[in-house]
Amino acid sequence: MLSKMLLGRYIPGSSIIHQLDPRAKILAVVLFMAIVFFANHWTGYILLIVFITVLTKTADLSIRFLFNGLKLILILLLFTFFMHLFFTKGGTVLVDGGFFTIESEGVVRGVYITIRLAMLVLITTILTLTTSPLQLTDAIERIAKPLKVFKVPVHEIALMMSISLRFIPTLMDETEKIIKAQSARGSTFMTGNLMSRLQALTPIFIPLFISSFKRAEEMAIAMEVRGYQGEEGRTHYRVLNWQWKDTFALILMIIFGIILWMIRQ
Amino acid sequence: MIGLEDITYSYRTGEYKALDHISLTFRRGEWVSIIGHNGSGKSTLVKILMGILDDYEGSITVDGELLDEENRITMRKKFAIVFQNPDNQFVGATVEDDVAFGLENNGVPRDEMVRRTEEALKAVNMLEFRDHEPSRLSGGQKQRVAIASALAMAPDVLILDEATSMIDPEGRREVLDILRTIHRRGKTTLIFITHDLSEIEDSDHAVIMKDGQIISEGTVEEIYKDTDALLASRLVLPFHMKISKRLLDGSFLSYDELVERL
Repeated sequence: MLSKMLLGRYIPGSSIIHQLDPRAKILAVVLFMAIVFFANHWTGYILLIVFITVLTKTADLSIRFLFNGLKLILILLLFTFFMHLFFTKGGTVLVDGGFFTIESEGVVRGVYITIRLAMLVLITTILTLTTSPLQLTDAIERIAKPLKVFKVPVHEIALMMSISLRFIPTLMDETEKIIKAQSARGSTFMTGNLMSRLQALTPIFIPLFISSFKRAEEMAIAMEVRGYQGEEGRTHYRVLNWQWKDTFALILMIIFGIILWMIRQ
Repeated sequence: MIGLEDITYSYRTGEYKALDHISLTFRRGEWVSIIGHNGSGKSTLVKILMGILDDYEGSITVDGELLDEENRITMRKKFAIVFQNPDNQFVGATVEDDVAFGLENNGVPRDEMVRRTEEALKAVNMLEFRDHEPSRLSGGQKQRVAIASALAMAPDVLILDEATSMIDPEGRREVLDILRTIHRRGKTTLIFITHDLSEIEDSDHAVIMKDGQIISEGTVEEIYKDTDALLASRLVLPFHMKISKRLLDGSFLSYDELVERL
């Protein structure tokens, strides 16, 4: 089940989108999130869909792949759609079911808002599919650097993120081992009602927590003996290289935003 | 050279002594193995050497300088350590990031950092895995990365705290091979902590610990001959020693000697 999850997964590749500086990609996504709200007319929405389709093709991702990712939030999308369908009033009455009515404005709003939501999810999916978690962490650290003025521990947060990411597979393995060990001792996890299933998780989580704390302590010692003393006086092995194509990508995104702004009505 | 003089340590005052009047000398370039059963005090010794525990009795001198509160952090740079669990000492997201981590902490300029990371990875034959994530490595490979991370810091002393106990025999062989190469170069003092008697054969000097005390000390041959200490240590004896004990009225022989006698 977990392998099908697209959220937060990275697919290595060599497309131009993969090669962009992660900072440029994050900034472009933030811009796009604002730009999405410029569209207020069907031409705008069609442009958005075309834009995302072109972007997906440039990133060497298949559209089907992206839609699989969308399935995860399908319920949210449907909910949004039906809320608008039933509760947005205006225009001509299409269906009159007595205690409820569907009016044309509701259909239009429903479709528009659903497209907006889908666009937001798709662009972030494209970001995580083409950028490794490590690059993302690096980029977030650099972008958030100015926050240090407000005493936000940017470096520490970034380090925490990268260590957590690094431990996900380790903890997955461990969880699997514990499940096997507990099954061998007669625990069942997949039967019974919701409550008993939740209770059955206790013998998995307690050992997992204990071992995580042990790991954390050993990790802290390992970091200390390797001279970790916070950010002061630290140099960086990884460098991010802002190139012309990154600036160009951002300019393209701004131009797209301007076009959308011009055609709004 | 490192000198330990009459070191005593208890985790809680007045209680059982984890280390009981230990005196030891480590000479430059020497490979010293410390052998002992669980709870013999060998890991406590490491923690004291690394300055993680500092309220001990006795004194430690490093290259003639007495170790104290003030020089603890700077002295630590002379030491590097590889721990037991290959997963819990892997800080970086990839192999090269992990090797660079210690260098980053010490503010090494980037050009030098790239060079030293590469050299260290080459020394443990892991250069081709430089961009791999830890989850894609075997236990032995992770321990080799840990050794590379330690070597990148160019330490005078490399401590291995049961570094081979959680990996498979193949990985163990690889790690020991690398240690032999480091030892041959003669620049780094190796302090090798283990509970496996078959792993000490290459060391210049070996120490058996039990209940916080040194019960035997000498060359590997001398240790192998010290029947009383070996039995008292409750260590698992290598196969050839078990045979020689059974066949030849209780005396231990090295592998070659046994072959000859038989």
